[in-house]
Amino acid sequence: MDLSYTPDQTSFREELRPWLASSVPRDLAPPGTREGFEQHRVWERALFDAGFAGISWPAEYGGRALEIVSQAIFEEEYLLADGPERINVVGEKLMGRTLMKHGTDEQRARWLPRILRAEDVWSQGFSEPEAGSDLANVQTRAVREGDQWILDGQKIWTSYGAFADWIFVLARTDLNAERHRGLSFVAVDMRSDGVDARPIMQLDGHAGFAEVFFTSVRVPVAQTIGEINDGWSVALSTLGFERDAPARPAARYERDLGELIAIARARDVWDDPSVRDAVGALAARVETYRLHTLRTLTRLQRGESIGDDASVTKLLWSELERDIFEYGMSLLGPYAGALSDSPAAASFDNRYWYARAATIYAGTSEIQNNIVAERILGLPR
Amino acid sequence: MIDFEFSDEQRALRDVARDLFAKQSPPSFIRTRWNGERDVKLWRALAEVGLLGIMIPEEHGGAGGDEVDAVLVLEEAGRAALPEPFAETLVAARLIQLHGDKVLSESWLPRIASGDAVATVGRETDPFVAYAAEADLIVLIDTSGARLLTRDDVKTKPVRSQDPARPLYSIETKRGERLTLTTPNSRAAAAIAATQLGVARRLLEMTVDYVKDRKQFGKPVGSFQAVKHKLARVHAAIEDARPAAWYAAYAFARDLPEASKAANVAKVAASRAEALANAEALQCHGGIGFTWEHNLQVWLKRGLALQPAFGTPAEHRAMLAREEEARDA
Repeated sequence: MDLSYTPDQTSFREELRPWLASSVPRDLAPPGTREGFEQHRVWERALFDAGFAGISWPAEYGGRALEIVSQAIFEEEYLLADGPERINVVGEKLMGRTLMKHGTDEQRARWLPRILRAEDVWSQGFSEPEAGSDLANVQTRAVREGDQWILDGQKIWTSYGAFADWIFVLARTDLNAERHRGLSFVAVDMRSDGVDARPIMQLDGHAGFAEVFFTSVRVPVAQTIGEINDGWSVALSTLGFERDAPARPAARYERDLGELIAIARARDVWDDPSVRDAVGALAARVETYRLHTLRTLTRLQRGESIGDDASVTKLLWSELERDIFEYGMSLLGPYAGALSDSPAAASFDNRYWYARAATIYAGTSEIQNNIVAERILGLPR
Repeated sequence: MIDFEFSDEQRALRDVARDLFAKQSPPSFIRTRWNGERDVKLWRALAEVGLLGIMIPEEHGGAGGDEVDAVLVLEEAGRAALPEPFAETLVAARLIQLHGDKVLSESWLPRIASGDAVATVGRETDPFVAYAAEADLIVLIDTSGARLLTRDDVKTKPVRSQDPARPLYSIETKRGERLTLTTPNSRAAAAIAATQLGVARRLLEMTVDYVKDRKQFGKPVGSFQAVKHKLARVHAAIEDARPAAWYAAYAFARDLPEASKAANVAKVAASRAEALANAEALQCHGGIGFTWEHNLQVWLKRGLALQPAFGTPAEHRAMLAREEEARDA
């Protein structure tokens, strides 16, 4: 057991920190607008040009080829530097890793380098109106015509769907097969004829996601990732990448906790023992989550896959995030009803609502609990 | 290099402990202890395979290991609800080794490693000391140090204990030799946290087995989501707490400045996981779990007994709030 960083990791951090401090843009428009989205794309490109995109990606795809711990150091420093929202996250964390695991050499060479350069921004086409928690109930169909799929259907809750260049779609390719069996994982150019993306306004007033309609969209069969009709196992890899730890640095929760104490002080309740008790309880969970991520990093570093344990990780961070912000909101007392003139930071409200979505996106807590109960504890279905 | 894993040797030692505990200390053995009969053959067996000397230097008859070597074994001790002051003796020996002089180490450590002496730890501020009457040596800690009390320094009076295999005593003491300690309470709290995790794991294991087997409405009760989700949450809470117990061990082994905070975190997290496991284990067992015959109560009561040991969870949460305040200021 050793929890110290190597000299190389420490010098990577020392190189990164001042670069971020001087390079992070401060006033980008929100990525839910076309203008803001393109500004964020420019920033993604700046990260790539400086050698800070795809820290753990192989060099042949434009990555820095460092190990997973340095990737985690990057995430932590990026957060501490208040870096902008990463519109490239679906490409870098989900599609990239999925291609590395399931793609052909040709597919990797085609798409991977374009991801880090932010030439292709990806979005995720899994959820549908009738396939949320029950993801295997996907109704979007791809019917084969020669070397092309003809794609028809609808996806929803698609982050960055309104402006992304590409989308990976889980579609039904064998109508006669059992639910999980007849699905394929297909990459679709969003500029194709018949793709129509409409932004959805969230309850916090931001346009974060979209619904995407496919009407007779022609997609080369060669853009299928993994075997035809084996898209479910590819999608499970992608979901695992979405739930495991490295993308979620504990530093964000340490900072949120500091904000809670500042609110408690401003409200003059910090010396209330019940407040200190609640903050002490959250502080313990922030630290256990940090240690949990170190454990995950160790496993990834050893080449182990996280598998169903990613569901535990997802439960831990999403419920911690929700509980921190719910407690913060309660600390605000009468100010909880105010969006201005409040002791909380201007962004608090937005982060509060997003924290309440944390137990829904990337698989609800209920689904994670089912996975833990059935696949880890072995309880009968 | 970040490597939050145990070595093969550390895991092998855990397996040795697990097998020994299962063989030498089954629930039937623990129940004889409830009747007030302490059978020293278990303590002898622990000494024989070297478990009492894990952290005692080789020159004093131990294995020369540290807290990281001990932490998985402590977890197993909780999993077995060992009816002996195992965590307490390990911590007492470690405190003597780290903070006592040479004479003290020479007079106590070889005897502890060989199983000839039993030691325990308590707090001046607590009303009771666990295993006080069985102990040849009591390390009684306060905020800055500890007093070492031998049998001659102590009069013990038994207390009717919730967990009769972890008997409590009120004590009257004479002066005792004084030790100055750096983080007096937290080393014991960290060891208890690891033990609590073992208790929690055993409660979960027993409950998972039970709900797979028990049928109602024609199917195993473990197939109902209301039951599944309870147990999934227990599993998540245990997985949340385990790295904290390991990290506290690591921090003490390396003498890191954050060791004391790590112990607070470990105790809060392990107590939370164990309390949840305790509640759901009884609930999911239903009526049978509420009977004297069923062995679930061995772990329910050990869990209850360890919650306040070396600081209630609330005490440790308050300390964490102070830490956060200092970091924030």
